[in-house]
Amino acid sequence: MKVHVNIDICLLHGQCVIAAPEIFSFDDNGDLVWVAEIDDSQVADAEAASDACPEQAIIIG
Amino acid sequence: MYLLGNLKLTGNDRKMKQESQFAPPLPYLDVADPGFSIRSAAVAAAREASWVARTNYGLAVLRYDDVQKMLRHPKLRQGSYRWPALNDVTGDFARWWESMLLSQEGDNHARLRRMANPAFSPKLITSLAPKFTELANMLIDDFAPKGKCDFIAEFTEPYATGVICELLGLPFERWRELADIAGDMGLALGVTFKKDLPTIEAATQRLFSYVEDLVAFRRANPKDDFIGMLINANEDKSQLSDQELMDMIVLAIFGGIDTTRNQLGLAMSTFIEHPDQWALLAEKPELARAAVEEVMRVRPTVTWVTREATEDFTYNDTLIEKGTTLHLFSQSATSDPRVFEDPSFDITAERKPHFGFGGGTHHCLGHFIARGDMTEALKLLAQRVKNPRFDGEVEWLPDSGNTGAIRMPIAFDPA
Ligand code: HEM
Ligand code: SF4
Repeated sequence: MKVHVNIDICLLHGQCVIAAPEIFSFDDNGDLVWVAEIDDSQVADAEAASDACPEQAIIIG
Repeated sequence: MYLLGNLKLTGNDRKMKQESQFAPPLPYLDVADPGFSIRSAAVAAAREASWVARTNYGLAVLRYDDVQKMLRHPKLRQGSYRWPALNDVTGDFARWWESMLLSQEGDNHARLRRMANPAFSPKLITSLAPKFTELANMLIDDFAPKGKCDFIAEFTEPYATGVICELLGLPFERWRELADIAGDMGLALGVTFKKDLPTIEAATQRLFSYVEDLVAFRRANPKDDFIGMLINANEDKSQLSDQELMDMIVLAIFGGIDTTRNQLGLAMSTFIEHPDQWALLAEKPELARAAVEEVMRVRPTVTWVTREATEDFTYNDTLIEKGTTLHLFSQSATSDPRVFEDPSFDITAERKPHFGFGGGTHHCLGHFIARGDMTEALKLLAQRVKNPRFDGEVEWLPDSGNTGAIRMPIAFDPA
C-alpha cells in the first residue's frame, strides 16, 4: 500500500509522527518524511496516523 | 541580536553592540490590565512594529508566520504546566493538572496521545452528527416560541455540556451537574486560584469519583463508543494506567465544555454584527463548516496558547532565553494583513488555517468533535433563529486568555 501526504495542506503538527513513528518522522531540516510504500503489517498504524492528522492530509491506498 | 525573556544582559560585546545599533525598542503590551483587548489598536500597532512584543508575562508572538513556526518549535514546550506551582498550590487539582496530557511532553505525551486517539477519530465523531442535531433542535424548541433567550444559558452551555454527556454515555439530564463541577474546577485558571482552592478541590474530587463510577459501570457494560474506546486503551495497563485513564476523561470534560460554550457564543455575536452572513448561512447550510472556521479565525475563544523555552535559542535574530514564557496570539496572527489581505468576516472566502485549536504536538485532540458539533449547531440556528440581535447587556469575560460571553440576551424571529 502507498502512503501519500498532501504537503500543500500539511501544517507539520507531527501528529502522524506520534501516531506512527515507524512511518513518519521529521528530518534535520524539520521537514516531514515518510515511508511511501508500506506492507500489510503497517497499514493499521498508517490509518491511525491518517485519522490523527488534524488537517486530514494523509491518504492511504 | 537583542535579548529577551528575563532581559538580563550577558557579557557578550558583539551582542551588546548589535543591541545598541539595531534593536528598536520592542513594543510592550500590558496584558494584565483588565481593559486590555487582544483586538485593540495597540496590538495591531505592535504587530506592525515587530513580530514580538514584551508583556507582563513574557513575550507575545503576533504575526501569522511566526505563530505557525512557534507552534511546532522543537525548543518550546507547552507552558501552563507550572500554573499550580506558580500559585503555590498543591492537592488533587494540582496532581491532575501536572500529570494530564496537556502538561506532558516527549515520549510520555506521545504515549498518552496515541492511547486517546482512537476515541477521537473522525469516523467515530462523524457518526455522532445526528445526535448533535437532535440536541440542538431540542434546545431551540425550548426557547424559540419566546423569540428571545439568553444564548449562553439556554443554548451554548447546555449544548456544549450535552455533547460531553453524549460522549460519556450519560443522559442529557446530567448536564447541569457536569457543567457546575467543570465551572468550579475552572476557577483554577483564574487569578483567584489560591483563594478558591477549597471549591476547586471539592469539585475535582467529585469529578474523579463521578468518573470512577462511570468507568466501573462501562467496564461492566462494554460498548464501542467514545468512552468504550478509552476503556479499551486501558486494557494494557503499561500503556495506559487506571489513573491515566481517569485523568484523560477528566481532561475531556474540563477541556471540552467552556471552550465550546464560549466559541459558539462568539459565533453568535460575530454573526449578529454581520447579519448578511447569517442570512447567507440560512440560505446555504453547506457553508456551516466554513462558517465555524471563519468564526474561529476572527474570534477564537483561546486567544493565545502558552509556550516555554526549554533551552536558549535564537529566532529571527533574537535570543530567547531558557525559561522564557511565550504567548502565541492566535487572533492577532489570523488578522495579520501580511497573510489576510482583506481580513473582514466572510464565510465564503478561501482562507489559510486559523490557530483556534492551537497546533503542533498539543493540537486540540477534541477538534473533530468541536468542529462537528459547532457545524451542526450553526446550520440549525441559522435556519431557526432569524435576524438575531442583542436584547440587553452582554456580559463578557476579559478579551484575552480564554474569552467569550457569560450572558448574551438575544431576540430573534422564530422560523
Ligand atoms: C471550540 C472548542 C474547543 C477549542 C477552541 C479548543 C481549543 C484547544 C486548544 C487551543 C488546545 C491547545 C492548547 C495548547 O497548545 O496549549 C487544545 C488542546 C486540547 N483539547 Fe481542545 N478545544 C475545544 C474543544 C475540545 C473538546 C470538545 C475536547 C474533548 C472532548 C478537547 C480536548 C482537548 C485536549 C485533550 C487537549 C490537549 C491535547 C494535547 O495536549 O495533546 N477540546 N484545545
Ligand atoms: S499530522 Fe498531518 S499536518 Fe501534521 S505533520 Fe502529519 S501529515 Fe502534516
